[in-house]
Amino acid sequence: MLAQQLFNGLVVGAVYALFALGFNLVFGVHKIMNLAHGAVFMIGAFAGLFTVNAGLPLWAALIFATVCSGLLAVVTELLVFRPLRSTTEAEFAFLIGSIGVDMILVNIALRVSDARTLRFPFGIVPVEPLVLFGLRITPLQLIIVGAVVFCAAALAWYLHRTSYGRQVRAVSNNERAAILLGVEPRSVYFQTFFISGALAGIAGVLIGLAFNSISFTMGEPYMLRGFVILILGGLGSLVGAVTAGLALGMVQTVAAVYLPVGLSDLIVYSLLFLVLLVRPNGFFGDPVADARVARR
Amino acid sequence: MTLDIRNVGRRFGGVRAAEAVSMTIEPGQIVGLIGPNGAGKSTLVNLITGVLRLDSGSVVVDGQDVSEETVVGVSRAGVSRTFQNIRLLRESTVLENVALSLSRFAQVSTLACVLGLPSARSEQRDIAARAMAFLEQIGMASFAHYRASELSYGHQRRVEIARAIAQRPKYILLDEPVAGMNDVEAAELGELLRTFAGEGIGILLIEHNMGFVYSLCSRIYVLSTGKILAEGAPADVSRNQLVIDAYLGA
Amino acid sequence: MSFVYAYQPLLDLLLINAGFALSQYVVLRAGVFSIATPGIVAIGAYTAAIMMARHGISIWGAAAAATAAGLIVGYALSIPLARLRGPYQAIATLAFVQFVIAFAFYAEPLTGGAPGIDNIPKQVSTLGLLCCVAATVYVLSSINQTRLGRIFDALRQDEAVAASLGISIWFHHALAFALSGAIGGLFGALQAGYVYAIEPQQYGFAMLTTTLAAVILGGRRSVWGPIAGAAIMTTLPELGRSLADNRLLVNGLLLTLIIIFLPRGLVDGLLFMRDRRNDRAARDQASLKIQKTAQP
Repeated sequence: MLAQQLFNGLVVGAVYALFALGFNLVFGVHKIMNLAHGAVFMIGAFAGLFTVNAGLPLWAALIFATVCSGLLAVVTELLVFRPLRSTTEAEFAFLIGSIGVDMILVNIALRVSDARTLRFPFGIVPVEPLVLFGLRITPLQLIIVGAVVFCAAALAWYLHRTSYGRQVRAVSNNERAAILLGVEPRSVYFQTFFISGALAGIAGVLIGLAFNSISFTMGEPYMLRGFVILILGGLGSLVGAVTAGLALGMVQTVAAVYLPVGLSDLIVYSLLFLVLLVRPNGFFGDPVADARVARR
Repeated sequence: MTLDIRNVGRRFGGVRAAEAVSMTIEPGQIVGLIGPNGAGKSTLVNLITGVLRLDSGSVVVDGQDVSEETVVGVSRAGVSRTFQNIRLLRESTVLENVALSLSRFAQVSTLACVLGLPSARSEQRDIAARAMAFLEQIGMASFAHYRASELSYGHQRRVEIARAIAQRPKYILLDEPVAGMNDVEAAELGELLRTFAGEGIGILLIEHNMGFVYSLCSRIYVLSTGKILAEGAPADVSRNQLVIDAYLGA
Repeated sequence: MSFVYAYQPLLDLLLINAGFALSQYVVLRAGVFSIATPGIVAIGAYTAAIMMARHGISIWGAAAAATAAGLIVGYALSIPLARLRGPYQAIATLAFVQFVIAFAFYAEPLTGGAPGIDNIPKQVSTLGLLCCVAATVYVLSSINQTRLGRIFDALRQDEAVAASLGISIWFHHALAFALSGAIGGLFGALQAGYVYAIEPQQYGFAMLTTTLAAVILGGRRSVWGPIAGAAIMTTLPELGRSLADNRLLVNGLLLTLIIIFLPRGLVDGLLFMRDRRNDRAARDQASLKIQKTAQP
């Protein structure tokens, strides 16, 4: 039934949105496209799994994964991105550096998991679905939606209601000016990367639960989906990331049901290519000066 | 035969960066463009050279309308420029920087280059020789093999101008060429510009250094908040009350 | 001689990887941020595989067709990508690669779907590979020694300057794309004619990161850079079991360390130091000449 599929898609889309939020935050503030984001997401899932296997409840796993991924992202920034900040061709260097970090993290996960696909223990979340408004809603889906709404709201509150968030927005707007006005850039870097990683970590645990599988390769398809969301929603736009994430989740779920396998992928990638040509800034993003080459 | 800027206009949101700006530069003339900071001088250069779209008006080079042309097109129509923040190829040598501007006139086909035919290789040597000869002509030959990033600020400026002139343009727009130079360096550059003007190149000089502008330019335009405030010989412009007010602030 | 025979398969692999690296190198040399090489390699490989396995065409015809296909696709890509720069170009080419792989999965009657195409007659010899690499190196070093090399340098360092000097950016980017496509198509065909079977998976992220790593490691300016990089990437796993098992880790570390500490790459880094010595010598000679003429 279409409504059910749309709802399922919405839930999947919510996690996409969470993933994309973290990625977009870093790009929007620092103009860094962090291709290691998918690996941080994957490590978060592993961290959550280990917590649960050690006997702790799910909420502890979520917290541990959040902190773990957040710190991982911060370490990445310190060791890799910061030294590259002042070089020529910094943009290119960031991309290459983040690919390197991604490869290292994936390899570590491969070793640790012995290339097997792992699962959360059965019953960690009650399975009995509720029936609301004619839709079957599982408790897991409720948890996912709840977690994502909470995170999005918390992020919005942080950015627009706290002084820390103001500093982040200032740096995003104009870093030099922000520094002249007394903003400490290093603390901003720490905050944005930590939050970005934390969001990815939560998304990792949720996806690991939702699809009941955690593997060292799980980050890759999300990175690709992430690009689609980013371009559609606009690089650097948080509202765009959420909207596009939800939209993609719904489109993908419905397409998987009604279209032959593989065609939906083709459509998604063609769509990405087309949007890049027509509106590389997406539907919500800031116009980027160097996205096109012609009289401005 | 002129570089004609006719009624050029451009806004960014609510800001009128250029409004009904009209100017004319003739071959062999050195024309000055002055104005307080933020007046829109560099924006005007960008409008002329194809970086920015024109909302209204036109730019005509020796009868050819280049208003819709891209940067490459405007350059090929015979208009060169320098940049306010020097843009040399920092990793390349001075010789390579100047040789680049001669690459446009290459006769040997791309296919010959790809196949590595002797004609392509000898063309490269020929370009290097011509670039060297040009450097000698302007007294920069001793710097030929320095990397651009190793030069002093003043010398970098000269190389950038050399690179733009090596193309033998019809007109050249210089964006604050003597900024940061001392009087001796500026005087040397002034002599160089006079030589080039003598060879028939029309020069638009954007500068804050009043002494430099007054000593070189036969005519001066004054730009303020996107509009031409005054136009005329240096002596007249310096006495113009509107101009004085614009500089001292209202 | 038995030494050579023992290592021949390794040499063959090195030559094929060098070809892929050279294809990736051409676009980066010209300042184009394209990572489309795996996609074009796949197109070349499938073209050749279909011709050889199903229609009995020899490697000569198949390779020629694949090279032509690669050239056309490369050129075709340059048209829409002319308006994009930086990360946007990278994402668009990534979308292209994913599209090609998805197509290979989906168009089963043509491409054999997920299992791919097998029973490709092995007609590629070491000598053939050597000749192809030599020819490619000749073409690319010819370019470096003529005005195209200077123009590519300029485009890579500061495109706006090249444009302001009347150099057609689009033409030279299209040239780089077309060359990269031709080389990619050729070596895709050569690989297909060497490994008996191809499948869509092998053209994905793994090939992308390995090829990119080879170019970054060796250098993006000199034509020997990608070859040195490919040589290192191919032989490193052979040096030890743990290196072979942890390919991703090794590649990732190399990528990250090189971009931070030796961003020019190994070959270019060495060449740069040699050039500085030569320039200093030329300078001293020039100033000696001036001193001599200054004396009465």
